[in-house]
Amino acid sequence: MNIKTAFFLAYTSLRRGSKGTLLMTILIMTLAYVNLVFIASIFGGIVEAMNKESINNQYSNIVIEPAIDDRYIDNKEAVELIDTIPGVVGSSAHYIDKALISYDEYSDGNDIKSGKWVVKSVDVQDEKKVTEIHDSIIEGSYLDATDRDKIIIGKEISGGHGGGLEHLSLGGISVGDKVDVLFSNNTKRTYTVKGVFSVKSTQVDQMAFVTKKEMESILKVHNLASEVLVKIENTGEEDKYVNEIREIGLQDEDIKTWDELMGFTSSASKSFTMISIILGVIGTIVAGVTIFIIIFVSVVNKRKQIGILKAIGMKEDTIILSFIIQALFYGIVGVILGASIILFILRPLFIANPLDFPVGWVSLKVTFNIIRISNISLLLASLIGGFFPAFRGARESILKSIWG
Amino acid sequence: MIIEVKNLKKTYEGRVPTHALKDINFGIEKGEFVALMGRSGSGKSTLLHQLGLLDTPTTGEIIMDGTDLVTFSEKEKADFRLKKLGYVFQSYALLPELTALESVYLPLMLLDVDKKEYIKKSSEMLDKVGLGDRLHHLPKEMSGGEQQRVAIARALVNNPAILFADEPTANLDSESSEVVLELFKKLNKEIGQTIIMVTHEPDDKKYVDRVIWLKDGVIED
Repeated sequence: MNIKTAFFLAYTSLRRGSKGTLLMTILIMTLAYVNLVFIASIFGGIVEAMNKESINNQYSNIVIEPAIDDRYIDNKEAVELIDTIPGVVGSSAHYIDKALISYDEYSDGNDIKSGKWVVKSVDVQDEKKVTEIHDSIIEGSYLDATDRDKIIIGKEISGGHGGGLEHLSLGGISVGDKVDVLFSNNTKRTYTVKGVFSVKSTQVDQMAFVTKKEMESILKVHNLASEVLVKIENTGEEDKYVNEIREIGLQDEDIKTWDELMGFTSSASKSFTMISIILGVIGTIVAGVTIFIIIFVSVVNKRKQIGILKAIGMKEDTIILSFIIQALFYGIVGVILGASIILFILRPLFIANPLDFPVGWVSLKVTFNIIRISNISLLLASLIGGFFPAFRGARESILKSIWG
Repeated sequence: MIIEVKNLKKTYEGRVPTHALKDINFGIEKGEFVALMGRSGSGKSTLLHQLGLLDTPTTGEIIMDGTDLVTFSEKEKADFRLKKLGYVFQSYALLPELTALESVYLPLMLLDVDKKEYIKKSSEMLDKVGLGDRLHHLPKEMSGGEQQRVAIARALVNNPAILFADEPTANLDSESSEVVLELFKKLNKEIGQTIIMVTHEPDDKKYVDRVIWLKDGVIED
């Protein structure tokens, strides 16, 4: 094989061949690459948005629940130690109750709207370290530590904010309206709606929050918890912290990580990943077939020249290599231009203007892994797509190549 | 003898086998300018293809330097063609993307000759065929006669033992044909280049030392 001559032939062919074909091929390869990275990144973005939503507004990183036979977590000392574990950002203990919330719009006992929703209590300062619900108030304001007769409710309870379960809501109540809440122990309280929040999780938007002190007075408990959410610095290291939490004394409690609790969302994100892989494989095959066709047409057009090259003593492998170099050139330029479009145009554009998906704000999640796999896929597709027609063309007999 | 052919046969298989060459025997001396002539279908081009290792005979021997070339593998044949043989085809057979100079130095590149050396040798060869002022022209910028002279320069640049020419003037006007044939004659006389040329033009006889006539796959006396 004469590598130098193969490069020389590929270079002259690219430089002096049809500029239109060259530009069109590069454009196709660039779009094929953008397609590969974009699909993987947008699905990655959706999965990330779902995960972020779960972590930021629902489960935080780790959820500690009482041991199977217990109603509450009563190891107060151990719970207080969670915050001292290095790498833990904060923890927030909740009481959880299922309560009947009613709204009598005209205070006349007629046309009362009501529903059963989850009511949780929060220690305001602790909660702000663990979830972002305080940043998701769309009307009114968040709870203060001293609030006793105030409640904040999700938009699926209040209604009137375009939630998906409007028909089950209280029909559009606003800040300042009063609601009656009948807790599971039959204690009934009247609260003024202090705020309405909206996150990207329907499950969370169907919750209401009161302060810890208020809930303790209703449930007649003190310093216990129905659940404790724990926020850590580095998502992905949950297992390590689960072990540390157990070591500080919460041996029997049910400790789960956010991804174990995601359920439907988790299977949805797995499906998205699967779809992304399937589309990626299809995209790679399309790119490979495109290169195959381009090189095939080139080989057919140069059939006679291939025969002449062989007649003057050029070996088949040198001829094949010259076509593979051309195919790889298309692939490499496609990768460079495609990566530039993704990294310098599409990614900044999506970061500045994320898409409003029902699962969260979706941006392009361009990872090193996606770039690496896409690079390898396109170059491999170019290599294979270039090799086969070149091999076929170069293997043909000299006389057949020259005279047909 | 530079090349010797013994009992050469070429049969194209098919429902009705075609015997293109039937027991050919002859030899060519070094420095000879030989024409293979005959009517269409006589087997002259088929014989040239066998001699030039562009095709493989059904049986027989082609002996050069004491070696039977028929026994060579495809790679050995390619190597032999590159180092020992030169070709000029009927149609100019140049790569459209290569300039005259690049076309000529391509065989030298394949022989791993130093860049300075192959540019010098190729320029000299183009000068010898009268194209010293057309080094950087692409085929589309040259006439048919000029393109054929580039093909001749390419065929000769590696100092082949034998130059094969397959109807080299078939696509040229009479003026260009004369230039090409005069060039062959000059190369044969001046540097003793062995040339085997297929032609169907009776007038071409005046340029060659000897004519081998073929008829229906056999050499006519």
